[in-house]
Amino acid sequence: MLKKLLQFNWLTFLSMVALAVIGVIFIKSAGEARTAASLQDAWRLHAATALFGLILYFTLSFLDYRKILDLGSTPYFLIAVILLVAVLAFGERVYGGKRWLLFFQPSEVAKLAVILMVAKVFGRKRPADTFLDLLYGLGLLALPAFLILAEPDLGTALVLVPAILVMLLCARVCLRVLIPVLAVSLLAVVAILGAVQVAETTSNPQTKANIYRCLPLKEHQRARLRTFLNPDADPYGGGWNLRQAKISIGSGSLTGKGIGKGEQKFLGYLPPSVSMNDFIFCVLAEETGFAGASAVLGLFGILLLSGIWTALRCNDDRGRLTVIGILTLVFAHVYVNIAMSIGLMPITGLPLPFISAGKTFLVVLLAAFGIIQSVSLHREEET
Amino acid sequence: MKVSVWSLLALAALFSLGLAELAVELHRVQVVDVAAFKADLAHQATRRMRKPGIRGRILDAKGGVLAESRARRDIVCDLSAFLENGGLANTVTAVDDAITRLADALGFDRPASLTTARITRHIRTQSAVPLCVWRDLDETSLARFEERAAGFPGFSVESHAERIYPRGTFAAHLIGYTGRDRGTEDTDDVRMLAYELEMKGRAGLEAFYDDYLAGVAGAVRIPVDARGFKPRGAARDNIALGETEERAAQDGLDLELTIDPDLQAVVEKQLDGVHGACVALNPHDGAVLALASSPTFNPNDFVPFVSAKRYHELSEDPGHPLLNRATAGLYAPGSTFKPVTALAAFHSGINLQAAYECTGVYKLGDMRLHCWNRWGQGPMDLYHAIEQSCNPYFARLGYLMGTNTLFRTAREFGFEAKTGIDYAPERSGSLVAPPFYPGLACQSAIGQGRLQVTPLQMAVECATFANGGKVFTPFLKKRADGSPPPEPVRTLSFKPEEIEHVRSGMRAVVEGPKGTGKAIGGLKVSCAGKTGTAQIGGGEKDTWIIAFAPYENPTIAVAMVVERGDSGGKTVAPRIHAILASIFGEKEE
Repeated sequence: MLKKLLQFNWLTFLSMVALAVIGVIFIKSAGEARTAASLQDAWRLHAATALFGLILYFTLSFLDYRKILDLGSTPYFLIAVILLVAVLAFGERVYGGKRWLLFFQPSEVAKLAVILMVAKVFGRKRPADTFLDLLYGLGLLALPAFLILAEPDLGTALVLVPAILVMLLCARVCLRVLIPVLAVSLLAVVAILGAVQVAETTSNPQTKANIYRCLPLKEHQRARLRTFLNPDADPYGGGWNLRQAKISIGSGSLTGKGIGKGEQKFLGYLPPSVSMNDFIFCVLAEETGFAGASAVLGLFGILLLSGIWTALRCNDDRGRLTVIGILTLVFAHVYVNIAMSIGLMPITGLPLPFISAGKTFLVVLLAAFGIIQSVSLHREEET
Repeated sequence: MKVSVWSLLALAALFSLGLAELAVELHRVQVVDVAAFKADLAHQATRRMRKPGIRGRILDAKGGVLAESRARRDIVCDLSAFLENGGLANTVTAVDDAITRLADALGFDRPASLTTARITRHIRTQSAVPLCVWRDLDETSLARFEERAAGFPGFSVESHAERIYPRGTFAAHLIGYTGRDRGTEDTDDVRMLAYELEMKGRAGLEAFYDDYLAGVAGAVRIPVDARGFKPRGAARDNIALGETEERAAQDGLDLELTIDPDLQAVVEKQLDGVHGACVALNPHDGAVLALASSPTFNPNDFVPFVSAKRYHELSEDPGHPLLNRATAGLYAPGSTFKPVTALAAFHSGINLQAAYECTGVYKLGDMRLHCWNRWGQGPMDLYHAIEQSCNPYFARLGYLMGTNTLFRTAREFGFEAKTGIDYAPERSGSLVAPPFYPGLACQSAIGQGRLQVTPLQMAVECATFANGGKVFTPFLKKRADGSPPPEPVRTLSFKPEEIEHVRSGMRAVVEGPKGTGKAIGGLKVSCAGKTGTAQIGGGEKDTWIIAFAPYENPTIAVAMVVERGDSGGKTVAPRIHAILASIFGEKEE
């Protein structure tokens, strides 16, 4: 037991708890600008959810991750897929998307399921360098990703991609095909952005129509790309959220306006509907300034690097792949969430891990880090 | 193992670089560019609101108040107290219900003009500005509200300045009136969307001296939320943005006039019941001592704004009560123009020593100009022609000198141009207009023809004779104490003895045995003047007097016109006598 305590990765645990506490503080702060009692009290729910998630965290961390992967990942994956189908069939339509099933979001549940499944399949001791292996791996990603895309929730579907690709790359799955495919995909993304830019700046409406006919983009996606590429073109229309996010963050200056004293959120310029979810970083950055914002970045850095430390000390591919998948997923969330609010990425509805209000994602994150802790605790045990 | 240490280290490097990039970008946004974003926030989250200064008073020469501002107290509604979620209609309904409930509680009638459409428009356009519910309440009503105010959050009493004209119609055309106006301010690049209607001079001196009276509006920055309302509750208490005074309001200055209130009252009394105008000047500097036009109006009708019905009544009235006849009414001067003709004769080279026999008519081709005396007045010289207002004599002078000489002299007196008085509107009138015809010079010489003059121009003519040839710009705003006396705009190009010759003729009009204006006389001082009776067609006549007194050192020059009178000597002369008698007194027999 003493040995287990020594092997417990305290840095990961403490930085995680610190981020969740920060989440509670700023959900409370964002809620103060709202009139509905349920929103003013959302921080209590976040705290309660975190406590429940911590039970799950400790339970999973004291189980051997190998057993979790061997016994749990396949049923978990199947259940996740069933839930994703169920949400399409019975889900509640909110803001034009079917994302909610009763009290949770199946797409958040599915994120961890795919990572665990890929870790189990490619963490086996035999090499996996055939084209079939690659197809299998991409298939595990594609099945839930397309179901999520059908909700539709492009952001959540896309955020899975880097996590799984990094896992496949690290597991050396058919690199001779994977690397060229990645290179081509990257070029395609650049090409699409270029085409949108040309379409938006051309003066010939015929050219614009032709370009958009060839691009598989919906109107709101087009608008977001447009805003990303030309943020100042329409500050009161599509550019409103980005502009207000930047004003929130920018006016925070070095030390911020004081916790609970954010003007953008109180005056409703930062859209209240997103201030405690996808745009909570803006509230945080406005109220604590560059000092607070960079401290949060530092905490995420400690969380991610201490996670990598766990992977380094683990002598097992399954363990390493699990950790890599989870960390990459978290990094993608953090990067996209913050980058979009300062205009480095198009606006995408992705929550900031541990901090944004969102029960399902918080529970899934705590479970995922419980498994990372399990890798840390059980790294020397033989199966 | 498939997952190498190197790939883990590469991943660690990727995470570190990504977070570092975000930190650099955040530093740029929050530290390097912070000023721009703070400015953006201030720009979108504040409105500049005008705070007008207190409008200055208008005072007569003895310090009597002609126009001032009083405090008007209103019950207003702060709209942000009734903000409802959902559409604008919910908020409008909440405000509407609250007003009805307050009206019931106070026992007031709900203002009929405060419809839901009006509330909606107010919220759409000026949500940060309180909505006025009941305006101009008396002490009893205010006390009743104060008792119950605690039960009605969102309602409060606000004070606003309101114009009042304590003497009603007195000097109404001079003072003019104010209307309500949104102030404009384009000196800064900040948005000025919030304002309350404020006083703005619309006519008369209120308009002419609007900037002087209004002072300089101050500016207060008020925070507003994304919907344009003033923040309340937690938002108001927690944010750093608050009401800040950008610029203090400067109160307007009091406007002191040259108007002598006693003289003005006498003048208005003499014009009561007729259509006409009168101007009295100080001949030594051009100060306007009295200026009146009849019929008149009450400027209090225009506070806070004139109703459409009342304005229609005033503007459609055939007597044109809103027109200031003294500065903007155009008339033929008739014989009151003859002193100008007489003076012009000295520049014409005509032998004025030779006598002229008045036969009662002057013929030129088919044209016949009759004297007022059908049987002729016998031998005439310039002096007696002025005294007796002999038409044939002056028609002949006009014929002999021609229009060029006549009008050149008239322009020296300031005819055919605005006098430049500090008042608007003023009209310039005219001396001549096409078509030309033979005899125009003869008719112009006796003040008919195409002559169009204002009573103010006639007063200037009279003042010029009174002071011996100096043309002053009339003015209404009292000169500052110790400031140098005004310079004349022009000095007549005639010799003093020539001017004195005409002046003496004018004295004979009042005091000579055959003078046409003897009814002016009978004063303690010696007086000079000229009567005029202008034919305006249809057998109607506009009747005139110009007069100045005392003859030796005049202190007043006055011109009066009464429309549709009998003759200057009968209709106007007694009125001028009354006016001058109020200053100099009746001659004791």
